[in-house]
Amino acid sequence: MCIGGDHLKNRLEELRKLNGIKQEELALALEVSRQTIGSLENGRYNPSILLAYKIARFFNLSIEDIFIYEEE
Amino acid sequence: MKNYKSGKYIVFSVIGLMIFTAGLVLIKSMPDTQDIMRVLPYLCIGIGAGIFGQNLGEVLKNIAVKNNPEVAKQMVVEANDERNLTISNKAKAKAYDLMLMVFSALMLTFALMQVNMYLILAFVAAYLFIVFSQIYYLNKYQKEM
Repeated sequence: MCIGGDHLKNRLEELRKLNGIKQEELALALEVSRQTIGSLENGRYNPSILLAYKIARFFNLSIEDIFIYEEE
Repeated sequence: MKNYKSGKYIVFSVIGLMIFTAGLVLIKSMPDTQDIMRVLPYLCIGIGAGIFGQNLGEVLKNIAVKNNPEVAKQMVVEANDERNLTISNKAKAKAYDLMLMVFSALMLTFALMQVNMYLILAFVAAYLFIVFSQIYYLNKYQKEM
């Protein structure tokens, strides 16, 4: 979702593959559906702050390391 | 962990079946009736079928998931998934906007057709109830969030 041309990119797919985890396994760990992981990875859906925090904690990184905010 | 007991759903299914059966019996036993008694059997059939079907569905669902904790957990995850909830809320909001337009068009059509005034007033009352409900919840969530 873009507001006023701002974009939120993420490295979720990159990090997931780096750790050798499938989408289903990541979805199970985060207690979301596999479709949500898929939508997050291809940028069609932006997570809530709660989910972003859970993802960051799962990979042991900060939110800014995973989600990159680009202003237009 | 959600409780998957089916007791109350079985009771409601039986009640629904009884109402449905009562409707059928009324149609057979009172073929020549007037006013509300003409409609009552069909009302019983509709309501009875609805109650029976909905509760039987819950019973069957509970039977299916009772021995499958994985399936039960997945169902809970899907129901609470934030993306699914967002999609559901967006769809409801769009449907609500459409419903207001359809209601308005219907009221205008009924008024032009010179339908019974009380029917039109009932429509208007329902429309206003929905609009005021929206205002109430807007106000409530403004304060809460």
